[in-house]
Amino acid sequence: MLKFVSRRLLSSLIILIVISATVFIIFNYLPFDPARLACGKHCTPEIVSGNRHRLGLDVSWWMQWWEYLKGIFVGRTYGQGAAMFTCPAPAFGYSFNQHACVSTILASALPVTVSLAIGAFIMWMFLGVGLGVISARFRNTWIDRASNIFVLVGTSLPTFISGLLILLFIVLKFNLISPLDLGQWHSPLTAPWEWFTSFFWPWLSLALIYAATYTRFTRSNVIETSSEDFIRTARAKGVSERKVLWKHTLRPALAPILTIAGLDFAGLLGGAIITEQIFQLPGLGRLTLQAALQDYDLPIIVSTTILAATFVVVANLIVDLAYAFLDPRIRVK
Amino acid sequence: MVKLWKMQTGKKAIAAVSAAAVVATLSLTAGAQSASAAPVKGGTLYVITHQDQLDHADPQRIYTGRDIAFMESYVFRTLVMYKPVAGTAGTGLVPDLATDIGKASDGGKTWKFTLKAGTKYSDGSAIVCEDVKYAISRTFATDVITGGPSYAMQYLDIPTDAKGNSAYAGPYTKVGQADFDKAVSCSADNRTITFKLGVAKPDFNYAMSYPISSPVPAAKDTGDKMDLAPLSEGPYKVASYKIKGEMDLVRNPNWSAKTDSVRTNYPDKVILKFGVSEDVRDQIFLKDTQKNAINFDALQLQNNISFFNSPASKTRGLNVNDPYTVYSAMNVSKGHLDCLEVRKAIYFAWPYDALIKLNGGAKLYGTPGDNAIKPNIGIDYAKTTSHINDKNFKSAGNPAYSKTLLAAAKSKCPTTYAKATSADQGITIDTSDTAAAKKSAAIVTPAMEAAGIVIKYNYIPTGSYYSTIQDNTKQGDMSGAGWGPDWANASTVIPPLFIKDGGFDLSQNWDDPAYPAFKALSDKANATLDRKAQAKLWQQAAEYAMAQYWLGPVSFTKQQLSWGSGVGGVDFWAPQGTFLFPALYVKK
Repeated sequence: MLKFVSRRLLSSLIILIVISATVFIIFNYLPFDPARLACGKHCTPEIVSGNRHRLGLDVSWWMQWWEYLKGIFVGRTYGQGAAMFTCPAPAFGYSFNQHACVSTILASALPVTVSLAIGAFIMWMFLGVGLGVISARFRNTWIDRASNIFVLVGTSLPTFISGLLILLFIVLKFNLISPLDLGQWHSPLTAPWEWFTSFFWPWLSLALIYAATYTRFTRSNVIETSSEDFIRTARAKGVSERKVLWKHTLRPALAPILTIAGLDFAGLLGGAIITEQIFQLPGLGRLTLQAALQDYDLPIIVSTTILAATFVVVANLIVDLAYAFLDPRIRVK
Repeated sequence: MVKLWKMQTGKKAIAAVSAAAVVATLSLTAGAQSASAAPVKGGTLYVITHQDQLDHADPQRIYTGRDIAFMESYVFRTLVMYKPVAGTAGTGLVPDLATDIGKASDGGKTWKFTLKAGTKYSDGSAIVCEDVKYAISRTFATDVITGGPSYAMQYLDIPTDAKGNSAYAGPYTKVGQADFDKAVSCSADNRTITFKLGVAKPDFNYAMSYPISSPVPAAKDTGDKMDLAPLSEGPYKVASYKIKGEMDLVRNPNWSAKTDSVRTNYPDKVILKFGVSEDVRDQIFLKDTQKNAINFDALQLQNNISFFNSPASKTRGLNVNDPYTVYSAMNVSKGHLDCLEVRKAIYFAWPYDALIKLNGGAKLYGTPGDNAIKPNIGIDYAKTTSHINDKNFKSAGNPAYSKTLLAAAKSKCPTTYAKATSADQGITIDTSDTAAAKKSAAIVTPAMEAAGIVIKYNYIPTGSYYSTIQDNTKQGDMSGAGWGPDWANASTVIPPLFIKDGGFDLSQNWDDPAYPAFKALSDKANATLDRKAQAKLWQQAAEYAMAQYWLGPVSFTKQQLSWGSGVGGVDFWAPQGTFLFPALYVKK
């Protein structure tokens, strides 16, 4: 197992290094010039060139990349004379648009995104898996049909529609949250109720589409597993239906769902861009969106990309381990 | 120098425009409130915006008219300031930190301002001349203090190199410090600041109404980070500022109304709320759900139409002529539109009516214009004889007349004619890559086809639009842009838009045979100290430039303000092009 984990960790590290280099290469060939964008109105070639130096863009992409990687371990210093300042390690660069070290910016955005992802994940797993199991158990009854309608509606409504509908016609219409409180970050440690109420509607909006997909997926997995020989054998041995469902059916049926859930969760940790945008949550998704489409803020783009990739890589690792735990056949192999 | 990103950036709207000293006229003063209502103290005033942050909050970097008005009303103080009243009276200067609006001597090449006694920062320390001098010096550090106005670099008597770069590099490196110290000096009592200019500048004091003259003590300069935590001398100080969150302003205990005739501190708190989604923001003002709030932005087009058509909401709105001229610059350099007849052919085929209708109609969008200078600038404007005043102008487009112009161009300038009429070449129009721009293109392209002109659109990503078209090698044949004067003098319009080193000459007209005579006229106007004589020269210069069709279609646009029913004292501050912030209060 240790060897397996070590091998996976090494490959994950290589993947992250390749991803970070790729972002630098892509950024280098985009038709944008952040130095010119930051130039202001009385823009001369000298000011552009000074900006390029200030932003660290006056060297080749591999030098920029190397400085970035080095900064993670030893920190980075910017400016000169009285305007000099340092971002301590781990330094992911400095955002001249937000006037802060990227590590500070990430530290403030990450709890928002993690809160959103965890809450939505719990919600859709309960709702989606629960409804999937129930509709499989009561196949072809009104419960199953109602669940089908939920699946149809849920999967047909993209988050940018469901989110807006929830926000405009429920949250704001019935004054459930003041529009000026939208996007306010409350720590779950110091203000748990405010944290819960500020995230409930974003969770619901995000969970709807996932829950619908998971309902359908769980239902078909449970039905498929129920027709397996070992289930038939269990029933023939007189095992109760409850035990057949909980002990013999769900475990193999849920294993593939766990794989998808892990990856979906990791994807959300990288930033649920649309939900964060609609509910004005200052998380990683909004941060990335602003950096990529508005500010062309390379240090933030690279850092959020690496962070998102790290989440996916780690989630893959955890899923693999959990899968081995859930399915003894994997462990034997 | 001011440019309007309105046409191209959509969401940014007036955001990247600096203040404009113009006399805006209220074309629909639906909501302008009676000045007789007595303002009251207390409450929290919310200022709501879709933007995630101010473009800049550092006084030497801020250059967005709306942001300047907000910060100068509540946080910063400057040597001089616009009078805080609506209408034409609001374009005049009043002393702020200084005891008067500045004393010029040496034919406008030397300016002196003496600081009032008793002015303080929010931490209680006194404001002295050296702080103003240091603040001005920061604008030279273009490697750190980016984005702000460059008046000091343009006007002060400091040597420049062959490329026009200042010998002074700002206070961080102190390269060329002696040159700066000669140009800007403080008296022995640290109360009077003297500026030595390289050229006569009779309206230099207007530049000192910008926050570049807002004092910064050298010891408290935090460089780039000052953009998040600016110092305060005004009635409020910044208690917190979080990007995508809010900027909370609380009363400054060390501010005194006795030394400040401009500002007030009516609300207990002022909260600038960032990152509100456009839909939520619009609902707030359409439904009046946040009564003690004002809209820092414009409403989205359809919501704006609904707002100003609804009797219930329009009493909470102002529809005014804004300070900006929106236009399509014609690139007249060789290989582009270097033929007057072709430029005119494009202009006269322009489908104004359909485009204005697309953008909300004349009532909310504005009307076709005849000049780079807008009428509300005052004496520098005069009707031109070209554009909408030409007898062949039709607001729906006049393709028949365009065809006659093209016929003339065919023999006079066959290369440009071929470019304009052949399918494999065509006229390239630079535009921002937005849905609105694509709708406009769908109107313009067939209208031009009717005149025999082939149009090709070059859609440029919004964020890099201005940096692209300001690159002479990348600019197409026509580029949409906008401009408003920095103050009520066409010296902040004509040279920037039509002189090579003016800063925003998108017509690239310096090789046009008509350019030398125009440049001489502009230089003469710039150096004329008699204001009335200068205005006459600006009028002639504008007439000359417009007759060359260096600018194609021009529009005189409008802007709309909206607010909640719990806000009192609302009016339009013409020179700042936004709310008259010092008059705002929260109703009891």
